Amino acid sequence: MTQFLQATVNGLLDGGLLALVAVGFSLVWGVMNIVNLAHGAFVLIGAYIGWKLDSSAGIPPLLAMFVAAAALLGVGYLVQRYLINLVVNAPIWMTLLLTFGLSLVLVNGLVLLFTGDFRSIPTSYGSDGLTLGDVRIPYGRLIAFAIAIAFTLGLVWFMDRTRLGLAIKATGMDRGAARLMGVKVRRVYGLTFGIAAGLAGAAGAIYGTVDTFSPADAGGFTLQSFVIAVLGGLGNMWGALAGGLLLGVVQAWSGQYLGGTLINAVAFAVLVTVLIVRPAGLLGKPYYEARVEV
Amino acid sequence: MRDLSPISRCLGFACILAVLVAGCGKGEGNAGGGGGEGTEGGTLRVGAALSLTGSLAKEGRLTKLGYQFCQDKVNDAGGVSAGDKKYKLAITYKDDKSEPDTAAQLVDQFNDSGSKLILGPYGSPSTEAASAVIERNGQVMVDSSGADNAIFAKGYRNTFAVLSPATSYLAAIVQAISENANPKPKTVAIISADDGFSKTAAKGGEAEAQKQGMTVVAKEEVAEHTTNVSSALTKIRPKKPDLILVSAHVEEGIAAVKQSNELGVKPKGFGETVAPPTPDFVKALGKQAEGVVGSTQWTPDSEGQDKIFGTAKDYAQGFKERFGETAEYHSAEAAAACLALALGVEKAGSTDPAKVRDAIAGLETESFFGPIKFDDTGKNADKPMSAIQIQDGMPVTIFPADQAQAKLQWPAG
Repeated sequence: MTQFLQATVNGLLDGGLLALVAVGFSLVWGVMNIVNLAHGAFVLIGAYIGWKLDSSAGIPPLLAMFVAAAALLGVGYLVQRYLINLVVNAPIWMTLLLTFGLSLVLVNGLVLLFTGDFRSIPTSYGSDGLTLGDVRIPYGRLIAFAIAIAFTLGLVWFMDRTRLGLAIKATGMDRGAARLMGVKVRRVYGLTFGIAAGLAGAAGAIYGTVDTFSPADAGGFTLQSFVIAVLGGLGNMWGALAGGLLLGVVQAWSGQYLGGTLINAVAFAVLVTVLIVRPAGLLGKPYYEARVEV
Repeated sequence: MRDLSPISRCLGFACILAVLVAGCGKGEGNAGGGGGEGTEGGTLRVGAALSLTGSLAKEGRLTKLGYQFCQDKVNDAGGVSAGDKKYKLAITYKDDKSEPDTAAQLVDQFNDSGSKLILGPYGSPSTEAASAVIERNGQVMVDSSGADNAIFAKGYRNTFAVLSPATSYLAAIVQAISENANPKPKTVAIISADDGFSKTAAKGGEAEAQKQGMTVVAKEEVAEHTTNVSSALTKIRPKKPDLILVSAHVEEGIAAVKQSNELGVKPKGFGETVAPPTPDFVKALGKQAEGVVGSTQWTPDSEGQDKIFGTAKDYAQGFKERFGETAEYHSAEAAAACLALALGVEKAGSTDPAKVRDAIAGLETESFFGPIKFDDTGKNADKPMSAIQIQDGMPVTIFPADQAQAKLQWPAG
């Protein structure tokens, strides 16, 4: 029983962080119909910003993540306006090709800048944990989890309660109608992509405090984001959170009871099962298929 | 009709950039310029497919530094003598993107362009894939980092490895701890990554632990290159082992120590195959790295010397002067592979691959890397493995006893 509880705690803590990694990917896919294969590279850039600020300027990662988020927000906005926007109406394979190319450029740029060395952001609390009965809750992962949940909930609030958030959702549902209502679609798209990249940057900086990273991890982040976005339902922030937590727990349980080498196989089996039972994802709505493109 | 021209422009730009950056490793260090023959204008062309990008970019870079250092030292000494001719050594690098299939294809391409002499790619999977092509083409490869015993169990004649085989990686750690620890650990848990090299090394460690009278209380496998080993540690925790052995790569090795602390798993010590001697290990873990024991193919205290590099200390000093980095074993084994190839050509008195193959098979020499003498399968079976322990943030040699700089600290950390 202790092992089951410990595995569940491990899975939930990892899943919260995975949700923050994936939420931006889901937002961009849901609103703009762009599968951003460079998303993992944005997460890594955030991790490197956090690492560099900590190692060179002594800025703690909890502060550095805001710098990473702000920097990536700006980068994301510009990338969308001047690059992604050119293919926003093009067939899906063209957006895949462009974002794949962008990912290659960014990842290899990181190799040139920082080499392929493994990095991590040390914290004073990283090696300690809270003991509840026989279950151990690592402080570092608990803090990362809390921040990830706070960011994700903040995004939910932003999307539901602010004019800009509503404009983003409206644009995702019916771009033509949104434009007729006075929404500046081009700006909304830029901000959507910027927000997604900013959240990826924050996730990267937090990830660096609990795990090691190197430029080669970009593909893994993108793949996990893909699974979580599809699991949870595209463009749905609650869905990304549910998808992240589910994936984290499934991976922890499968590692515990089936062996560490089957984690990915089980994760994809769950994805396929969810898609058979609920094709729109756990919390997704079928509006995505029916939306109007003008 | 939609105007696609901006899209085309943008995609063209992105593709060009992508190809430029992804392909930036190709052809680096081609000191001899174009041409396709193995020897041309007094130049001996040697091919090396390396992980310059991808998941093994770090180790690939270290291997490349070793090859480059060897090329410089050999050419500084006048080049490679073959009969009455002298050749400048020119190593051509191609990026295998850390993919074994690509490494094999690149070795084939080297053959097509006339390069019959090959230096090995990084890691056992790529070396194993390349060795099949080497055999088919009649090329000769000196392997610098493929340690998995499976590579040498196929009956290939043209692949030679300068490094100790995989089975000795964890076994050397167990020997070091068993000989020096007081009290000697009684129980051991083994975590292994699921790739061939790590599994073979784990088997070697398990056999040695049993030979030394220890009880193996748990054996767990994790996915290769994962940074999450918490499931394995959760299963190991109630068994309270005295020693945790990790047979894996750098990222799994770092994760095992870090997550053990997070989860309150506290053995008397850790032993890990590949990670501890790399600078990343101490950088990523800080004080948590203290006391971790690791195995290494080479240290600056290794015995032996040769005419190109001198002693291990000379090698370390020269490497630091050339690259500004502390020498470690990935680069040293690469330099040793290159040395074996150069010595093979000199002994053969020819660059003919069949003659070079026979000459390498008969090599029996000392070097800064230790003894180089290949058995019938191509392994450098007599080369001893060393063990280090992280003490005050630095890897120091603790085994074998005659090379030890310091005593094992036990309980560690």
